[in-house]
Amino acid sequence: MTAGTTEIATRSVWRLVAAREVAVKLRDRNFLVSTALMLVLVVAAIGIQFAFSGHTETKKIAVQGPAGSSIVASASAMAKEADAKLKLQPVRATSATAVEHRVTAGKADAGLLRAGDGWRLVGKTSRNSQLATYLGQAVQQDVVRRNAAAAGTTLADLQHGAGLSYDLLQPGGDDEGTARAGGVVFGMLFYLAALLFGMAIANSVVEEKQNRIVEIIASAIPLRQLLIGKIVGNTVLALGQVVLLSLVGVGGLLVTDNADLLDHLAPGIGWFVPFFLVGFLALAALWAVVGALATRSEDVQSTSAPMTALVAIVFFAGILSTGAIQVILSFVPIFSTIAMPARILSGDTAWWDPLLSLVIALVGAYGILRLAERMYRRALLQTSHKMSFRQALRAATD
Amino acid sequence: MLRLDGLTRRFSDTLAVDDVSFEVPDGQLVGFVGGNGAGKTTTMRMVMGVLAASDGSVRWDDRDVTARDRREFGYLPEERGLYPKQPVIDQLVYLAQLHGISRSGAHRRATELLARFGLGERAKDKLETLSLGNQQRVQVMAAVISRPKMLVLDEPFSGLDPAAVDDMVGLLREFTAARVPVLFSSHQLDLVERLCDRIVILSHGRLVANGAAEELRRSGPIRHRLVTGTDAGWVRDLDWLRIVDVAGNTAIVQLAAESDTDRLLAEAMGRGPVRELAELVPSVADIYREVTAEAGV
Repeated sequence: MTAGTTEIATRSVWRLVAAREVAVKLRDRNFLVSTALMLVLVVAAIGIQFAFSGHTETKKIAVQGPAGSSIVASASAMAKEADAKLKLQPVRATSATAVEHRVTAGKADAGLLRAGDGWRLVGKTSRNSQLATYLGQAVQQDVVRRNAAAAGTTLADLQHGAGLSYDLLQPGGDDEGTARAGGVVFGMLFYLAALLFGMAIANSVVEEKQNRIVEIIASAIPLRQLLIGKIVGNTVLALGQVVLLSLVGVGGLLVTDNADLLDHLAPGIGWFVPFFLVGFLALAALWAVVGALATRSEDVQSTSAPMTALVAIVFFAGILSTGAIQVILSFVPIFSTIAMPARILSGDTAWWDPLLSLVIALVGAYGILRLAERMYRRALLQTSHKMSFRQALRAATD
Repeated sequence: MLRLDGLTRRFSDTLAVDDVSFEVPDGQLVGFVGGNGAGKTTTMRMVMGVLAASDGSVRWDDRDVTARDRREFGYLPEERGLYPKQPVIDQLVYLAQLHGISRSGAHRRATELLARFGLGERAKDKLETLSLGNQQRVQVMAAVISRPKMLVLDEPFSGLDPAAVDDMVGLLREFTAARVPVLFSSHQLDLVERLCDRIVILSHGRLVANGAAEELRRSGPIRHRLVTGTDAGWVRDLDWLRIVDVAGNTAIVQLAAESDTDRLLAEAMGRGPVRELAELVPSVADIYREVTAEAGV
């Protein structure tokens, strides 16, 4: 072997480490089961949403005569026009008592009765505002039509000039809910990945330390290569999982006829991927330090506390912040992973905002990686006792 | 050839290894002996670059050892353990690859080693399903799989049954036959005496003896045992030797010079029958006890 080939092999040996991380994880039953579970959750969430939004409810309204039936029919037509997913079906009863009887017996959802000059709507134990709205409109229209006929005019004449249109000068406000929900979904994905894969990195580091195999590895390859390999391997896995979940989610939106929602989410998803990547890289390096601080896998519980706190703060700050705070956070490395895509979704960013934020995140991630590498190196071969972040930091900056 | 030059390691205020210098010549098996806490493991970790030396240096072929050299060293750390949940052959191949061996070459070599240690059929089993003795064998394989140019083995024989010890010895002999220097530590002094070309004894971080086994044994005063037909009490009257012990017809004496052996024999034969006059060469264990006792106080 010539010196040259060894040199190249040493510099790219992280690939071996990364390949092992991926191979071991892909054969790990826990990992496969948790990934499958997440996919099932996404599919179930879309399914439930579909079931709720796509289902038209039919309500039975007990009525006494043809007048009641026709009011129910026109109320049903109005509900359909308004896209209320509500269908009203008249059920004939012989008397007012029979109508009430049907309602109390639960055979009809409500009853429509004549009451003097007007009408009376009866329900069993609670009021249904949708029924009141559409039946009320139908009664009103019916009565106005009759009164108009009696006065020798028509309903159309009476309503002439009463049209009102409603236009938005800056449309998009309706999407606020979508933007919020999208931000929460991105935040959740990052939070889960940062926590699950973070723990996986820490455990994989401490496993090597606890088994002392790290001594064999450390004598064979530079520790930096080991660290890079672990970070790359787990980042590939985390990103792969997120892409898989996103694909299933996007597929779900298409299947459930929510393609218009996708138009709003697309730029957010597009930017989320690079932010996720950069944010995850920085956190992954710190998780490796968490593993290196411990001497046994039991220690990870305590050495990981600062990281689980950080990840939770990033998540909640990302989804809950608004206004100026959100704008500031969207430029802070790691925090920007959730905050910036959320801002993009709500549409209040200039084209350079995400770009600038990404550059800052990259610089931040590089700094964190360098520091984490030093802490990792100091802590990894220190096998006699558990270290704290503070001790490792002091050792790394000595 | 590996050479340690004034190697020193301080842990805060304790001196774990104090100015240790010795050589592991090509093709020689060097036994590294010392009690618990004598500094053997710390020294070996410094040789492997796992621990930084406070002072002194490790030299390979008369230059400072580099990371590239160490990549071609085989190392068996003191505390055992590979990846418990990974199949045996996978981790052997992985470790060989880290040492720069190609994947196919690593696979071939791993298969060969597993067969040789009688573990060919367990290749795809997870390490944790193997008995401790077999896990130890895998650990040894991990140290030699890359055909290292130097072997550093911390307690390679601990936990091995007699058959495995013989396998291990055979393996080490192959390496020394190929001119590879081998440094190993052990508590089993009889084994060290039987196997090693050279012995290095460490006590409280300091080197107290270093040399070929024969050389070490001969370094001290030579003792003889004389067994006569009658009472041997008369040796007390000889002023040119030192009495170590006299009991009945047996006397143990220390002679000042080799030629005094004949003088003693003539003296004894003149006084009656002589049953035995034998040279008492100390074992490595005796030497060890002697040098560590001296260094201990």
